[in-house]
Amino acid sequence: MRRKASLILLALAVFFAALSPLLRWYAFPRLAKIPAHQYQDMVLEAKDATLLDYGTMKARKVSKVTIVQTLKGNVEASEKIEKTAGKDVVVWDGLSYVVGPDGKMVSKIPERYIFDAHTQEPVHATGEMVDGDPVRREGIEFKWPFLTEKRDYEYFDAQARVTAPIHYKGTRDFRGVEVYYFEQTIPWTKVKFPRTMPVEGITPESVAKTGTTRWYTTVRKFWVEPLTGAPVYGEEIHKEELRGGTLLGDREKVTAFAGHVKMREDYIDHTVDLVKSNRTLVLLMTSYLPWGFLGLGILLLSLALCLEARGRRPADPGPTQAAEPEPLNA
Amino acid sequence: MRALIAAATGLAVALALVLTITAMGSPTGETSPKPLLTTVPAHP
Repeated sequence: MRRKASLILLALAVFFAALSPLLRWYAFPRLAKIPAHQYQDMVLEAKDATLLDYGTMKARKVSKVTIVQTLKGNVEASEKIEKTAGKDVVVWDGLSYVVGPDGKMVSKIPERYIFDAHTQEPVHATGEMVDGDPVRREGIEFKWPFLTEKRDYEYFDAQARVTAPIHYKGTRDFRGVEVYYFEQTIPWTKVKFPRTMPVEGITPESVAKTGTTRWYTTVRKFWVEPLTGAPVYGEEIHKEELRGGTLLGDREKVTAFAGHVKMREDYIDHTVDLVKSNRTLVLLMTSYLPWGFLGLGILLLSLALCLEARGRRPADPGPTQAAEPEPLNA
Repeated sequence: MRALIAAATGLAVALALVLTITAMGSPTGETSPKPLLTTVPAHP
Protein backbone atom coordinates (compact mmCIF):
# COMPACT_ATOMS: atom_id res chain seq x y z
CA MET A 1 0.00 0.00 0.00
CA ARG A 2 2.84 2.40 0.95
CA ARG A 3 4.61 1.47 -2.25
CA LYS A 4 1.53 2.39 -4.32
CA ALA A 5 1.05 5.73 -2.51
CA SER A 6 4.69 6.69 -2.99
CA LEU A 7 4.44 5.94 -6.72
CA ILE A 8 1.33 8.15 -7.03
CA LEU A 9 3.12 10.91 -5.12
CA LEU A 10 6.13 10.56 -7.41
CA ALA A 11 3.95 10.89 -10.52
CA LEU A 12 2.30 14.01 -9.06
CA ALA A 13 5.69 15.44 -8.08
CA VAL A 14 6.98 15.05 -11.64
CA PHE A 15 3.68 16.44 -12.99
CA PHE A 16 3.93 19.68 -10.98
CA ALA A 17 7.70 20.06 -11.36
CA ALA A 18 7.35 19.71 -15.15
CA LEU A 19 4.37 22.07 -15.23
CA SER A 20 6.44 24.85 -13.67
CA PRO A 21 8.88 25.57 -16.57
CA LEU A 22 6.30 24.53 -19.18
CA LEU A 23 3.90 27.18 -17.92
CA ARG A 24 6.53 29.91 -17.77
CA TRP A 25 8.44 29.31 -21.00
CA TYR A 26 5.99 27.41 -23.23
CA ALA A 27 2.44 28.36 -22.27
CA PHE A 28 2.94 32.01 -21.25
CA PRO A 29 4.47 33.27 -24.53
CA ARG A 30 1.66 31.55 -26.42
CA LEU A 31 -1.23 32.52 -24.15
CA ALA A 32 -0.26 36.12 -23.37
CA LYS A 33 -1.65 38.20 -26.20
CA ILE A 34 -3.64 41.32 -26.94
CA PRO A 35 -7.25 40.34 -27.66
CA ALA A 36 -8.21 41.11 -31.26
CA HIS A 37 -11.53 42.69 -30.23
CA GLN A 38 -10.19 45.14 -27.64
CA TYR A 39 -11.78 48.61 -27.56
CA GLN A 40 -10.29 51.42 -25.55
CA ASP A 41 -10.49 55.16 -25.36
CA MET A 42 -8.25 57.74 -23.75
CA VAL A 43 -8.62 61.44 -23.04
CA LEU A 44 -5.62 63.74 -22.89
CA GLU A 45 -5.65 67.44 -22.16
CA ALA A 46 -3.34 70.37 -22.80
CA LYS A 47 -4.21 73.18 -20.41
CA ASP A 48 -3.27 76.79 -21.25
CA ALA A 49 -2.28 75.75 -24.75
CA THR A 50 -1.57 77.86 -27.83
CA LEU A 51 -3.78 77.23 -30.83
CA LEU A 52 -3.92 78.77 -34.27
CA ASP A 53 -7.08 80.67 -35.18
CA TYR A 54 -7.51 79.82 -38.85
CA GLY A 55 -9.86 82.82 -39.26
CA THR A 56 -7.20 85.40 -38.40
CA MET A 57 -4.20 83.12 -38.92
CA LYS A 58 -2.93 84.20 -35.51
CA ALA A 59 -1.94 82.05 -32.54
CA ARG A 60 -3.98 82.56 -29.38
CA LYS A 61 -3.91 81.23 -25.84
CA VAL A 62 -6.77 78.85 -25.03
CA SER A 63 -7.81 77.36 -21.71
CA LYS A 64 -7.75 73.76 -22.90
CA VAL A 65 -7.29 71.52 -25.90
CA THR A 66 -8.60 67.97 -25.56
CA ILE A 67 -7.39 64.92 -27.47
CA VAL A 68 -9.73 61.93 -27.61
CA GLN A 69 -7.92 58.81 -28.71
CA THR A 70 -9.84 55.65 -29.56
CA LEU A 71 -8.42 52.26 -30.48
CA LYS A 72 -10.79 49.62 -31.79
CA GLY A 73 -9.76 46.06 -32.58
CA ASN A 74 -10.99 45.04 -36.02
CA VAL A 75 -11.57 41.28 -35.70
CA GLU A 76 -12.57 40.67 -39.35
CA ALA A 77 -9.45 42.47 -40.66
CA SER A 78 -7.17 40.62 -38.21
CA GLU A 79 -8.59 37.22 -39.21
CA LYS A 80 -8.02 38.04 -42.87
CA ILE A 81 -4.38 39.06 -42.28
CA GLU A 82 -3.74 36.06 -39.98
CA LYS A 83 -4.42 33.71 -42.92
CA THR A 84 -1.39 35.02 -44.83
CA ALA A 85 0.78 36.11 -41.87
CA GLY A 86 0.50 32.71 -40.15
CA LYS A 87 0.42 34.24 -36.67
CA ASP A 88 -1.96 35.93 -34.26
CA VAL A 89 -2.48 39.46 -35.50
CA VAL A 90 -4.25 42.46 -34.02
CA VAL A 91 -5.60 45.27 -36.18
CA TRP A 92 -6.27 48.49 -34.34
CA ASP A 93 -8.32 51.14 -36.12
CA GLY A 94 -7.55 54.33 -34.25
CA LEU A 95 -8.69 57.91 -34.25
CA SER A 96 -7.01 60.90 -32.65
CA TYR A 97 -9.70 63.55 -32.44
CA VAL A 98 -8.58 66.96 -31.21
CA VAL A 99 -11.16 69.34 -29.77
CA GLY A 100 -10.68 73.04 -29.04
CA PRO A 101 -12.04 74.90 -25.98
CA ASP A 102 -15.27 75.69 -27.88
CA GLY A 103 -15.88 71.97 -28.50
CA LYS A 104 -15.12 72.29 -32.20
CA MET A 105 -12.86 69.90 -34.05
CA VAL A 106 -9.25 71.03 -34.45
CA SER A 107 -8.01 67.95 -36.24
CA LYS A 108 -8.79 64.29 -36.68
CA ILE A 109 -6.27 61.70 -37.73
CA PRO A 110 -7.35 58.10 -38.35
CA GLU A 111 -4.80 55.32 -38.49
CA ARG A 112 -4.55 51.56 -38.80
CA TYR A 113 -1.92 49.76 -36.76
CA ILE A 114 -1.32 46.06 -37.43
CA PHE A 115 0.86 44.06 -35.06
CA ASP A 116 1.73 40.63 -33.67
CA ALA A 117 -0.67 39.88 -30.80
CA HIS A 118 2.08 38.26 -28.70
CA THR A 119 5.20 40.35 -29.36
CA GLN A 120 3.70 43.66 -30.53
CA GLU A 121 6.08 43.58 -33.49
CA PRO A 122 4.54 45.44 -36.43
CA VAL A 123 2.98 43.32 -39.18
CA HIS A 124 2.92 44.81 -42.66
CA ALA A 125 -0.25 44.34 -44.65
CA THR A 126 -2.45 46.33 -46.96
CA GLY A 127 -4.39 48.88 -45.00
CA GLU A 128 -1.59 49.92 -42.64
CA MET A 129 -1.92 53.71 -42.72
CA VAL A 130 -1.94 57.09 -41.02
CA ASP A 131 -4.51 59.64 -42.16
CA GLY A 132 -5.07 57.67 -45.35
CA ASP A 133 -1.37 57.50 -46.28
CA PRO A 134 0.18 54.02 -46.46
CA VAL A 135 2.98 53.71 -43.89
CA ARG A 136 5.42 51.02 -42.84
CA ARG A 137 5.96 50.95 -39.09
CA GLU A 138 9.26 49.51 -37.91
CA GLY A 139 8.58 49.91 -34.22
CA ILE A 140 5.91 49.66 -31.56
CA GLU A 141 3.09 52.13 -31.04
CA PHE A 142 0.76 52.70 -28.06
CA LYS A 143 1.87 49.56 -26.18
CA TRP A 144 5.13 47.86 -25.21
CA PRO A 145 5.62 44.06 -25.36
CA PHE A 146 4.79 41.86 -22.39
CA LEU A 147 7.78 41.63 -20.02
CA THR A 148 9.21 44.95 -21.20
CA GLU A 149 12.98 45.18 -20.88
CA LYS A 150 15.15 47.99 -19.52
CA ARG A 151 16.35 49.08 -22.94
CA ASP A 152 15.55 51.47 -25.77
CA TYR A 153 12.75 50.51 -28.16
CA GLU A 154 11.86 51.68 -31.65
CA TYR A 155 8.65 53.73 -31.50
CA PHE A 156 6.55 54.89 -34.43
CA ASP A 157 5.60 58.57 -34.58
CA ALA A 158 2.29 58.93 -36.43
CA GLN A 159 2.66 62.68 -37.10
CA ALA A 160 6.08 62.48 -38.72
CA ARG A 161 5.46 58.92 -40.01
CA VAL A 162 8.92 57.91 -38.81
CA THR A 163 10.22 55.26 -36.44
CA ALA A 164 12.77 56.54 -33.92
CA PRO A 165 14.26 55.23 -30.67
CA ILE A 166 12.39 55.77 -27.44
CA HIS A 167 14.90 55.70 -24.61
CA TYR A 168 14.64 53.85 -21.32
CA LYS A 169 15.38 56.47 -18.66
CA GLY A 170 15.01 54.49 -15.45
CA THR A 171 12.61 52.72 -13.13
CA ARG A 172 10.08 54.82 -11.22
CA ASP A 173 7.13 54.42 -8.91
CA PHE A 174 3.87 55.67 -10.36
CA ARG A 175 0.98 55.62 -7.88
CA GLY A 176 2.21 52.43 -6.25
CA VAL A 177 3.10 50.67 -9.51
CA GLU A 178 6.71 50.03 -10.52
CA VAL A 179 7.11 51.43 -14.02
CA TYR A 180 9.82 51.94 -16.63
CA TYR A 181 10.08 55.53 -17.84
CA PHE A 182 10.67 56.05 -21.59
CA GLU A 183 11.28 59.26 -23.48
CA GLN A 184 11.45 60.08 -27.18
CA THR A 185 12.31 63.40 -28.80
CA ILE A 186 11.22 64.07 -32.35
CA PRO A 187 13.18 67.12 -33.59
CA TRP A 188 11.52 69.76 -35.78
CA THR A 189 10.28 67.82 -38.79
CA LYS A 190 8.27 68.93 -41.79
CA VAL A 191 4.98 67.01 -41.72
CA LYS A 192 1.89 66.74 -43.86
CA PHE A 193 -1.24 68.76 -43.21
CA PRO A 194 -4.10 66.61 -41.87
CA ARG A 195 -6.58 65.59 -44.56
CA THR A 196 -9.40 67.06 -42.51
CA MET A 197 -8.75 70.72 -41.72
CA PRO A 198 -10.64 72.60 -38.97
CA VAL A 199 -12.11 75.20 -41.34
CA GLU A 200 -14.46 74.31 -44.15
CA GLY A 201 -13.13 75.16 -47.57
CA ILE A 202 -9.49 74.83 -46.53
CA THR A 203 -7.86 71.67 -47.77
CA PRO A 204 -4.27 70.42 -47.49
CA GLU A 205 -3.97 70.99 -51.25
CA SER A 206 -5.16 74.61 -51.05
CA VAL A 207 -2.71 75.32 -48.20
CA ALA A 208 0.11 73.64 -50.11
CA LYS A 209 -0.51 75.98 -53.05
CA THR A 210 0.33 78.98 -50.81
CA GLY A 211 3.75 77.50 -50.10
CA THR A 212 3.10 77.28 -46.36
CA THR A 213 4.47 74.18 -44.70
CA ARG A 214 3.68 72.48 -41.39
CA TRP A 215 6.43 71.61 -38.90
CA TYR A 216 6.27 69.58 -35.73
CA THR A 217 8.38 68.62 -32.73
CA THR A 218 7.52 66.63 -29.64
CA VAL A 219 8.95 65.15 -26.48
CA ARG A 220 7.00 61.98 -25.78
CA LYS A 221 7.02 60.47 -22.28
CA PHE A 222 5.63 57.12 -21.22
CA TRP A 223 5.46 55.40 -17.84
CA VAL A 224 5.20 51.70 -18.73
CA GLU A 225 4.25 48.85 -16.40
CA PRO A 226 6.89 46.27 -17.43
CA LEU A 227 5.00 42.99 -16.91
CA THR A 228 2.02 43.91 -19.09
CA GLY A 229 3.88 46.43 -21.27
CA ALA A 230 0.97 48.81 -20.82
CA PRO A 231 1.61 52.53 -20.37
CA VAL A 232 -0.07 53.69 -17.15
CA TYR A 233 0.61 57.33 -17.93
CA GLY A 234 1.74 59.46 -20.85
CA GLU A 235 2.68 63.05 -21.57
CA GLU A 236 3.72 64.97 -24.64
CA ILE A 237 5.30 68.39 -25.00
CA HIS A 238 3.98 69.05 -28.44
CA LYS A 239 4.62 72.02 -30.78
CA GLU A 240 3.43 72.66 -34.31
CA GLU A 241 4.24 75.60 -36.56
CA LEU A 242 3.23 76.82 -39.98
CA ARG A 243 6.21 78.23 -41.84
CA GLY A 244 6.62 80.39 -44.94
CA GLY A 245 4.27 80.86 -47.86
CA THR A 246 1.78 83.56 -48.69
CA LEU A 247 -0.70 82.34 -46.05
CA LEU A 248 1.37 83.93 -43.27
CA GLY A 249 1.84 87.31 -44.95
CA ASP A 250 5.13 88.82 -43.90
CA ARG A 251 5.62 86.45 -40.97
CA GLU A 252 8.16 83.68 -41.15
CA LYS A 253 6.23 81.30 -38.94
CA VAL A 254 3.22 81.02 -36.68
CA THR A 255 2.45 78.55 -33.89
CA ALA A 256 -0.33 76.17 -34.90
CA PHE A 257 -0.36 74.33 -31.58
CA ALA A 258 1.80 74.32 -28.47
CA GLY A 259 0.89 72.55 -25.29
CA HIS A 260 1.86 70.12 -22.59
CA VAL A 261 -0.48 67.19 -23.20
CA LYS A 262 -1.29 65.03 -20.18
CA MET A 263 -3.70 62.17 -19.50
CA ARG A 264 -6.92 63.27 -17.81
CA GLU A 265 -7.01 62.41 -14.11
CA ASP A 266 -10.01 60.00 -14.24
CA TYR A 267 -8.36 58.11 -17.10
CA ILE A 268 -5.13 57.80 -15.12
CA ASP A 269 -7.02 56.17 -12.22
CA HIS A 270 -8.90 53.88 -14.61
CA THR A 271 -5.70 52.86 -16.43
CA VAL A 272 -3.75 52.22 -13.21
CA ASP A 273 -6.57 49.99 -11.87
CA LEU A 274 -6.81 48.08 -15.17
CA VAL A 275 -3.05 47.59 -15.41
CA LYS A 276 -2.85 46.44 -11.78
CA SER A 277 -5.43 43.69 -12.42
CA ASN A 278 -3.77 42.59 -15.69
CA ARG A 279 -0.39 42.65 -13.93
CA THR A 280 -1.70 40.07 -11.43
CA LEU A 281 -2.68 37.76 -14.31
CA VAL A 282 0.79 38.03 -15.84
CA LEU A 283 2.41 37.46 -12.44
CA LEU A 284 0.23 34.35 -12.01
CA MET A 285 1.61 32.88 -15.24
CA THR A 286 5.22 34.01 -14.89
CA SER A 287 5.82 33.77 -11.16
CA TYR A 288 3.10 32.63 -8.73
CA LEU A 289 2.07 29.41 -10.52
CA PRO A 290 5.54 28.32 -11.76
CA TRP A 291 7.15 28.81 -8.34
CA GLY A 292 4.12 27.33 -6.56
CA PHE A 293 4.13 24.24 -8.78
CA LEU A 294 7.87 23.82 -8.36
CA GLY A 295 7.54 24.00 -4.57
CA LEU A 296 4.65 21.55 -4.65
CA GLY A 297 6.66 19.20 -6.85
CA ILE A 298 9.59 19.23 -4.42
CA LEU A 299 7.25 18.68 -1.46
CA LEU A 300 5.51 15.74 -3.15
CA LEU A 301 8.86 14.23 -4.16
CA SER A 302 10.06 14.46 -0.55
CA LEU A 303 6.88 12.74 0.64
CA ALA A 304 7.24 10.04 -2.01
CA LEU A 305 10.86 9.38 -0.98
CA CYS A 306 9.89 9.34 2.68
CA LEU A 307 7.14 6.77 2.09
CA GLU A 308 9.44 4.70 -0.07
CA ALA A 309 12.16 4.72 2.60
CA ARG A 310 9.67 3.62 5.24
CA GLY A 311 8.40 0.85 3.00
CA ARG A 312 11.91 -0.48 2.52
CA ARG A 313 12.88 -0.41 6.24
CA PRO A 314 13.32 -4.02 7.52
CA ALA A 315 10.41 -5.28 9.68
CA ASP A 316 10.82 -5.60 13.48
CA PRO A 317 12.36 -8.91 14.37
CA GLY A 318 9.73 -11.39 15.71
CA PRO A 319 10.07 -13.59 18.77
CA THR A 320 13.10 -15.88 18.43
CA GLN A 321 12.31 -19.57 18.09
CA ALA A 322 13.91 -21.95 20.55
CA ALA A 323 16.52 -24.11 18.92
CA GLU A 324 15.32 -27.61 18.35
CA PRO A 325 17.12 -30.04 20.63
CA GLU A 326 19.56 -32.14 18.79
CA PRO A 327 18.64 -35.79 18.76
CA LEU A 328 20.54 -37.71 21.29
CA ASN A 329 22.62 -40.49 19.99
CA ALA A 330 23.22 -43.06 22.52
CA MET B 1 11.08 0.27 -13.02
CA ARG B 2 7.67 1.17 -11.52
CA ALA B 3 9.10 4.47 -10.26
CA LEU B 4 10.28 5.27 -13.78
CA ILE B 5 6.83 4.56 -15.22
CA ALA B 6 5.21 6.77 -12.56
CA ALA B 7 7.61 9.65 -13.33
CA ALA B 8 7.05 9.28 -17.09
CA THR B 9 3.27 9.33 -16.54
CA GLY B 10 3.50 12.57 -14.55
CA LEU B 11 5.64 14.17 -17.26
CA ALA B 12 3.34 13.01 -20.06
CA VAL B 13 0.22 14.34 -18.32
CA ALA B 14 1.90 17.71 -17.70
CA LEU B 15 2.95 17.96 -21.35
CA ALA B 16 -0.50 16.93 -22.57
CA LEU B 17 -2.20 19.48 -20.32
CA VAL B 18 0.01 22.40 -21.39
CA LEU B 19 -0.19 21.49 -25.08
CA THR B 20 -4.00 21.23 -24.88
CA ILE B 21 -4.39 24.57 -23.10
CA THR B 22 -2.13 26.41 -25.53
CA ALA B 23 -3.73 24.73 -28.55
CA MET B 24 -7.19 25.80 -27.36
CA GLY B 25 -6.08 29.43 -27.06
CA SER B 26 -8.61 32.09 -26.25
CA PRO B 27 -11.78 33.09 -28.10
CA THR B 28 -11.30 35.87 -30.68
CA GLY B 29 -14.44 37.81 -29.84
CA GLU B 30 -16.20 40.28 -32.10
CA THR B 31 -15.44 43.80 -33.25
CA SER B 32 -16.94 46.25 -30.81
CA PRO B 33 -20.03 48.04 -32.12
CA LYS B 34 -18.88 51.22 -30.32
CA PRO B 35 -17.74 54.01 -32.64
CA LEU B 36 -14.41 55.82 -32.78
CA LEU B 37 -15.08 58.80 -30.54
CA THR B 38 -15.59 62.32 -31.88
CA THR B 39 -16.84 63.76 -28.60
CA VAL B 40 -15.15 64.05 -25.25
CA PRO B 41 -16.36 61.25 -22.95
CA ALA B 42 -17.44 62.31 -19.46
CA HIS B 43 -15.68 59.38 -17.84
CA PRO B 44 -13.70 56.23 -18.79
